[in-house]
Amino acid sequence: MAYFGNNPQRGELQELYADLNDLNFEKKKEAVKKVIAYMTVGKDVSDLFQSVIKCLEFNDIEMKKLIYLYIVNYSRQKPDDAIMVIQNFRKDVRKSENPLVRALAIRTFGCLRVPKLNEYLIEPLKDCIQDDDPYVRKTAVLCVPKVYEVSPEICPPLLELLQKLLEKESNALVLANLIQSMREIEVVSGKQIINLNQKIIQKLLLAVDECIEWGQIFILDYLASYNPQDSKQAEVIIERTLPRLSHINPTVTFCAVKVILKYLDFLDNGDLVKNLCKKVAPSLISLLSWNQPEVQYTILRNISLILQKFPILFENEVKVFFCSFNEPYYIKYEKLDIMVRICDSKNFGQVLNELLIYLNEADPHFVRKAIKSIGKIAITYDKALDKAVSILVEFAKNVQQPTEPVQELLIQMQLIYKKNKSMYKHEDSLKFIYSIIEYANEPESKSACAWILGEFGEYIPKSAEKMKEYIDNFQMEDRLVQLQLLTSAVQLYLKYPSQCSILIQQLITSAKDSFNPDVRDRTYIYWRLLSTDPEIVKTLVCFNSGAVQNFSKDLRLWETQDLVLALENMGSISNLFHKLPHQLYKNIKIKINNQQDIKIYKGEEKQEKQENQAQVQQSENQQNNKQEQQQQQQDIDLLSFDDPPVNNINNNSNKANLFELI
Amino acid sequence: MISSLSFINQKGEILIYRVYKDDISRSEITQFCAKMIATKENKESPIINIDQTSFIHISIKDIIILATTKTDVNVAMVLEFLYQLSKICKSYFQGILDENCIKKSFVLIYEILDEVLDYGIPQIADPNLLQKFIQEGGMQQEATISIDKFRSLTGTITGAVSWRPPGLHYDKNELYLDIIESVNLLISAKDTVLRAEVVGSIELKSKLTGMPECQIGMNDKLLMGKQARMTKQNGGIVIDDMKFHPCVGLPKFEKDRTITFIPPDGHFQLMSYRISENINIPFKVNVFYSEISENKLEIRLKIKSIYDKNVYGTNIAVKVPVPKNTVNVVSATGLGKAKHEIEEQSVIWRIKKLQGDVETSLRCEISLGATNRDQTWSKPPLKMEFQIPMFTSSGFRVRFLKVMEKGAYKTNKWIRYLTRGGDYLHRL
Repeated sequence: MAYFGNNPQRGELQELYADLNDLNFEKKKEAVKKVIAYMTVGKDVSDLFQSVIKCLEFNDIEMKKLIYLYIVNYSRQKPDDAIMVIQNFRKDVRKSENPLVRALAIRTFGCLRVPKLNEYLIEPLKDCIQDDDPYVRKTAVLCVPKVYEVSPEICPPLLELLQKLLEKESNALVLANLIQSMREIEVVSGKQIINLNQKIIQKLLLAVDECIEWGQIFILDYLASYNPQDSKQAEVIIERTLPRLSHINPTVTFCAVKVILKYLDFLDNGDLVKNLCKKVAPSLISLLSWNQPEVQYTILRNISLILQKFPILFENEVKVFFCSFNEPYYIKYEKLDIMVRICDSKNFGQVLNELLIYLNEADPHFVRKAIKSIGKIAITYDKALDKAVSILVEFAKNVQQPTEPVQELLIQMQLIYKKNKSMYKHEDSLKFIYSIIEYANEPESKSACAWILGEFGEYIPKSAEKMKEYIDNFQMEDRLVQLQLLTSAVQLYLKYPSQCSILIQQLITSAKDSFNPDVRDRTYIYWRLLSTDPEIVKTLVCFNSGAVQNFSKDLRLWETQDLVLALENMGSISNLFHKLPHQLYKNIKIKINNQQDIKIYKGEEKQEKQENQAQVQQSENQQNNKQEQQQQQQDIDLLSFDDPPVNNINNNSNKANLFELI
Repeated sequence: MISSLSFINQKGEILIYRVYKDDISRSEITQFCAKMIATKENKESPIINIDQTSFIHISIKDIIILATTKTDVNVAMVLEFLYQLSKICKSYFQGILDENCIKKSFVLIYEILDEVLDYGIPQIADPNLLQKFIQEGGMQQEATISIDKFRSLTGTITGAVSWRPPGLHYDKNELYLDIIESVNLLISAKDTVLRAEVVGSIELKSKLTGMPECQIGMNDKLLMGKQARMTKQNGGIVIDDMKFHPCVGLPKFEKDRTITFIPPDGHFQLMSYRISENINIPFKVNVFYSEISENKLEIRLKIKSIYDKNVYGTNIAVKVPVPKNTVNVVSATGLGKAKHEIEEQSVIWRIKKLQGDVETSLRCEISLGATNRDQTWSKPPLKMEFQIPMFTSSGFRVRFLKVMEKGAYKTNKWIRYLTRGGDYLHRL
């Protein structure tokens, strides 16, 4: 295609200029097309502005559209030239009998985005908002936010007109566009523009049945941000929304799910809530196997939110999240994530069996994630521990290379041993884990190996030799590994004082001059303590089993108080990244909180109980922690050189952290 | 909403670029393209957020359609819109969307882009409707079309029945129905069914005069339970979920599960459904891998068709995975032919036609080349493709299709059923 790839040399521009000014219509049209082609590939053809707009005199819609495209593109660069087009627009809006032409003119006029031209726009725009033809109205309505963005000061009369239209408009499509347009203005201005009343809500609900799919989405999206006055109203809105669950457009379905789930909080009738959940679940599951992976992905990203607030929806549905062999990896990752979250004391066997299959996959990242998931499940559910460990041990048996999954395996085994020290006996797990220690090549996995060496030195053949290998390379290691090596070497020394005394000296010599203050400090502490009273050191470095906190809190993605707000925004970009809008977008205000209070106590009954329980459990945990903490207060004081110092001030929440450092 | 739309080719060059809002610059997009082409592969998520700008894209063969936005939009909507847009383009280019036709018809695409989005907000995205007023080379008889035509057109676009223009006429009224089911199956190595699911759709081709109202009924258990007379032997099937074309009256369906609609003209998908109970799995498969020696592997495979004797499966292809280092394959089959296809890393056994209730087998001897033995072969699952006409895995049946219109209105109706393999996998 000759249009593409060439630079417009000066000669070519001149040629175009000549063609544009030619008397022959066809020649002109070809020239305009060429201009647009240059524009597409990013070449500057703004110099031709005057010649191009002269071509507007022909009454040819295709040509008109092209020229408008050109004007929209360059109007900001050439505001003075753009003024000349205004007469054309006004003529089209006022005189043309053809509604398509009127709409085209007003649409393009709105896109000029030149403040001083907008004054000329107000009057024709007012006319168009009140036009007889709904197609013109639906276009005009969308022009208002365009103008508002550039010149908000001249918009008040337009906004009034919009509100009036909201009250009297009967065409569903116009109404949907109107709602969307007013919402856009709300976003830009940060003010509330839409004033709702019973009648308007009724109208919106009716319009959902009649307008095109996108319009349905606009209205449903809007309804999701609205708070009903009472249970009755919530019921009516849900009833009107239910049919949308059967729409073929996945977004319409998803928006309907959103509206229904949000309004559940406002219902008094418990049976109704249950029934609704039964209706919503199959719709959601269909979306999860939607044939467009990208759409599937966005739904999956929202599932953890739904799962946290409405666990009932996916009871017994863990199979839905099993990965298929040829799915894109971004989908597989999400599914894996959800499988861990959905796993409980009943279905863990099923989940683990499935994860076991994934260990054979080709992609190392994916296998790594699968191993991490197995570890998480093992730590969270005591019943699952045996099975999980045997899977991991089985995997360790076949390891022959320092791959990524191996690193994760070592890290997870360390966590499992920390949680439950007796697990080292399980199926000789320690033996197999020890046999792959040499494959550790990431700081975290190396530190895990060092921990295992120190903790289980007495069960490991030649542990001192292995430790020496590590210490020989001490200077090369990452800080994380160095710190762990110090503790582990001391541990080993306490177990085999005679064998390891040279070792510990070698370590102290190489560590005491470290550039890293943490490493240096820890070295000195151990050094002095060892030379005064080794017994104190023992209480310090020997690890208390069971101290790894229950990880179930970790599996909850959202803070409870954020759930309702997050639900309102389900499907949005911020939610996709598991954030609230104001956390991702600096210009979005934090939503006012008086709503949040309502959410919690008006929440679904069953849900609230669970949440309460969870909270009780949490506080219990914390209390337990405090007690333990007090017992070990002494130990922790000794460690106050570790970073970050905050840890020690409110250490009850960061206990797990501390132990990793010990 | 959407700030800009671009069509990008494989090399990361922008073919079409249309801005809807002022908050994005072309250079941001070119930078993103360069990055995307460099990293490639589908590991990256389809939505990427860089510094509050979100890049949302889909790939249609070699073409990437990219939307950007700076606001907190509904992502699923943008993605669905991009897919619709690709469908629209295809409908203009005889089902193909590639670099050539984009370059050739860029004027047309700009015209479409002008109509489908306004200020980045999705508007009309119905291909049939768009073709009524946007055509390659402009509207042909522009001058001769009366203003009234335009008025009725805008009326249709904004009306409640936007998918069907008034005043259609056919000499013969015809309706073609296709019921197409895809079976998604996952069977574990131990032969237990992990997942069995049918995703089906009803495709309709309508050539009808006027504005007829249609009603369709199938053996839906919930509906048939209500009509007590049907309970004798065939109680109907449980349909987990149904999704309908916009033409179906959803409130009415929600109320009493009757499906009524005024059909669009021509071909469209009336509905899709999902069934997970009582699936008739069409084939029983047994596979044995055995290592004869260090570089010899034997695969034995048995297939039994477990559908009715008077039904025939066609175009059956069984993809049996083999190791990467396979050098030679000697195979013997009961029916059909088996061939080693290197790029697929599998032996593909094809059977043209297989009667119901028949068992056949495949035996392969595989010679392996020397290779690094450390690398264990991660066996991918065995996959099956097939088509079985006049058979539904779910037992789905259309019971009636009524066409209601004033006067003596006669319609010829044709119906076909087809089941095919979707994600039909056996783990090994």
